[in-house]
Amino acid sequence: MEKQLHDNICEEQLFSSIFKKHSKDLHNFLYYKYGELLNPKDKVQEAFIKLWENCRKISPDKAKSFLFTTANNLMLNEAAHQKVVLKHQQIKPKSYTNENPEFLMQEAEYMQKLQAALSNLTEAQREAFMMNRVEGKRFKEIAEILDISTKAVEKRIYGALEKLRKDIKEL
Amino acid sequence: MERETLISKWLDNNLNDQELEAFKKLEDYDDLVKLDRSLQGFKADNYDPASELESVLSSIKSKKEISVHWFKPFMKIAAILAICFSLYYYTTTLDTTVSTEFAQKTTLSLPDDSSVSLNAKSLLIFNRKEWKKERDVELEGEAFFKVSKGSSFKVITKTGTVTVYGTQFNVKERDNYFEVICYEGIVGVTYNSQLTKLKAGDSFLIIDGKLIVTEKENNATPSWLNNESRFKSLPYREVLAEFERQYGVSIEAENIDENQLFTGSFSHNNIDIALKSITLPLHLKYSKTNNTITLKRD
Repeated sequence: MEKQLHDNICEEQLFSSIFKKHSKDLHNFLYYKYGELLNPKDKVQEAFIKLWENCRKISPDKAKSFLFTTANNLMLNEAAHQKVVLKHQQIKPKSYTNENPEFLMQEAEYMQKLQAALSNLTEAQREAFMMNRVEGKRFKEIAEILDISTKAVEKRIYGALEKLRKDIKEL
Repeated sequence: MERETLISKWLDNNLNDQELEAFKKLEDYDDLVKLDRSLQGFKADNYDPASELESVLSSIKSKKEISVHWFKPFMKIAAILAICFSLYYYTTTLDTTVSTEFAQKTTLSLPDDSSVSLNAKSLLIFNRKEWKKERDVELEGEAFFKVSKGSSFKVITKTGTVTVYGTQFNVKERDNYFEVICYEGIVGVTYNSQLTKLKAGDSFLIIDGKLIVTEKENNATPSWLNNESRFKSLPYREVLAEFERQYGVSIEAENIDENQLFTGSFSHNNIDIALKSITLPLHLKYSKTNNTITLKRD
């Protein structure tokens, strides 16, 4: 076993480096899982403040799981499970030149269907799928963040993709 | 290659060139690409770790977190100090008690070099801490005081209070018996809130609440300091009571008038000689069994 240089994280330098390493992943994880209505940014802050308050008891290698569990619990405290609707921006790739009204309407319709289909995914599917597709994370990275096996991540993401396509077709 | 594996590999960005070609030939390739492109619109809000870190750090610092560092150990030390101090205070302000048992005498010096000799079966209480303010001692039994000069010195007994100003005197307070003999200087005796002043050689004696007038005392110290008890015209029961205290025995007197006056003395060193010296003058016989002595008429 590797010898720990620090047995706790009550040091601003160490704390900051942990923040830089995990805060973005934590934020995206919360965002895709619970949507933006419940202020994932605030929850990230609260989780890190809790981490600091308990810094004496937590070793650096336990920090990540503490953060994710704490932030997740903070979310659960607030949200009696409600349907998560992710907001979206209009994307206008430049490759399209033939932007006639009909095409635009079709495009808008598709986005709405996609939004509804995303809401229908389970939290576990959505968080893994969105981190993979939108944040471009590989299965292995997601497995590390969620503390599950790569195989399970693959299963979740593939399942999410199939479900999305099915829902879009049906809607 | 299987469709599912291809899609999985595509999802994991893990396709090689050959596989990519195969993937592009899948019937749902266009569908997937469209879906993928549209998903980009659902990207999470931009998250800037640097600025978020700053706000977290500032809110951490605004809380007085450091106080925990020193507060707990400080409280521990404070508690220990408080216990030590109160223990010290308690023990130093405690009254000092000196007592003697049957057949035991002791001499002790008080904080100002005054000295006290305690006769058998007596108790003396004084407070070392308060001594500079009040020279008060409580006495049960008999004691001889040599008081060094200074502020008023009080001996408090159940029967009366003796106040002195640098002198030598003896106080004897027993059941129904209160005697003060002054050997040097002046002693004031308060009895029933009446003050009587004694000069050297004067004595003050109360038996059963009655004041008894006695002769001048000629000795320089009380006789018991020389291991002898001397009596001048005192009821015989006082003699017997003193004898019991000095030898730790109990005396049973049969058909004897304990109120008759006795003049004489007995030694504290030899019980047989002592018994003889208190029985012969009154023509009494004595017998000894264990710790009990029976006196009979001749």
